[in-house]
Amino acid sequence: MNYGNIVVAVDGSDASQDALNHAVELARQRNSPLTGIFIIDTQWADFIGNDWQSAKGARQGFLDYIRKEQEEQAEAARTQFELATQKMEQVSFSVHAGDPTAILVEQASSEKTGMLIAGRRVFQVSGRPSLKALATTLTKKASRPLLLFP
Amino acid sequence: MSSESPGFFRQLPSAIPGLALIIITMVVIRFWIEPWMGDTVILGQKGWLIKVTHLNYILLGIICGMLYRNVIFGGTMPEIFSNGFKLSRLMIKTGIIMLGSLYTFSAIVQLGSMAIFLIGGFVILTIIMVLWLGKVFGLDRSMTGVMANALSICGVSAAVATAPAVEAKASHVAYAIATILGFGILTMFISPFIGHALNLTDLQYGAWIGTGILNSGQVLAAALAFNPNVAPGTAVSVAEIWNIMRVISIPFAVFAITVWYWAGKDSADNTGKKKSLGTLLVEKFPVFVIGFMAMVFLTSMGAFGDVGLKGGPPASDTIKMLRLVMQWVFGFGLVGLGGFIDFKELRQAGGTPLKLGLIVGTTKYVLALIVVLLIKDSLVAI
Repeated sequence: MNYGNIVVAVDGSDASQDALNHAVELARQRNSPLTGIFIIDTQWADFIGNDWQSAKGARQGFLDYIRKEQEEQAEAARTQFELATQKMEQVSFSVHAGDPTAILVEQASSEKTGMLIAGRRVFQVSGRPSLKALATTLTKKASRPLLLFP
Repeated sequence: MSSESPGFFRQLPSAIPGLALIIITMVVIRFWIEPWMGDTVILGQKGWLIKVTHLNYILLGIICGMLYRNVIFGGTMPEIFSNGFKLSRLMIKTGIIMLGSLYTFSAIVQLGSMAIFLIGGFVILTIIMVLWLGKVFGLDRSMTGVMANALSICGVSAAVATAPAVEAKASHVAYAIATILGFGILTMFISPFIGHALNLTDLQYGAWIGTGILNSGQVLAAALAFNPNVAPGTAVSVAEIWNIMRVISIPFAVFAITVWYWAGKDSADNTGKKKSLGTLLVEKFPVFVIGFMAMVFLTSMGAFGDVGLKGGPPASDTIKMLRLVMQWVFGFGLVGLGGFIDFKELRQAGGTPLKLGLIVGTTKYVLALIVVLLIKDSLVAI
């Protein structure tokens, strides 16, 4: 059985390695295309919205600093994905920007997604506290097959 | 995320829907909901809702902002309202600058000298406590640095200013912010009750919350929730002087924590990363404080007429109008600020940062009240 495109959320951490290994194995067995995704969280400006008194430079400096960490995380995720998918055909990796929860829910409900695979703690390494509830939200809202790893 | 806003004037048209929602909300609260609460008889008492719950237009405004985001809009501010709500920060800054019209230089010196004593003592004690507890709990060094400044000075602003200087991870900062906001919101709602129950004067209450509440937005809200009047000697006029003292100390505290952080690291690591106090002052000094001081200068020069200080001539019409405008500006700003309180984030706060935040936050909150009560006779009203 071919699942269609398998989408796996990767963040470069040990937590996402298990999910990635299973996604690779499944894609090999089923000869399915495999897409790795990383999401740069753009919600930080909103998250610190309650801070009204920071100097503009301090505020922007902080957002740039977080952005830099997330870009480094994206590179780590790409490397992790490329190492795991060596010699495989039909693989791609993409970096999205937005709210990680909203984008993963969208992926998990898209007709183009055959199956979504993710670790329960994915994106928590550089994320806001609400990302702890990402897996729960996915189980409630995903309309495509979903595989979650501890 | 690289650039937060495209500029004030270009942003303005897209801010209109959000601004309209904020303005309509505050108008409805002030012209209909608040009067209705004042007239309604519950348990045989007219105005029970206000007398017992101490809800006024400020707290109602924040509650509405929180309801918009977390209930009506399902957890995310819709794009159409987003830019308008972002302008709430500008409104509060404008309000604080206008607040300078409540003081003359002599009043600032009088209040400021009391504030320096309390704020300085509490900032230093809190930093020491957090550094010690961070070690006891085995907390990451950069996380401890962020928590130290956030808990000792002014919450989120201090966390934002400190994080890059101590190489804090995004997730560390996020947990620090969620902890501080959660604690700040709790104290914002309970402080007016405690203040009224203990029959605190505006001066005592302002000094207490200006010292004890962690986050600046909640200091402003708690002050106006206790007494919505904006005039010399009211809770907001005292608490905001305390708050400004805290804000001014941000660059210095960031410098101190940076020195502490890098002292515990290999010296080869810090090349080009440790910033001088001068650089930090330029980068982190909040410019609105200069606007506030300019307003105090103009007021002291008599540019707006009499201020209406205790024992002096009554306030001029210009000053009265400024105070009325401030009430509205703060009202609008705090509806907006409520719209940035995300229950999803607060619910997920936890772990050691929460434990540390609760211990230090509660100690500071209670200790500030005890100290204010102990020195109440030394506090002099303006």
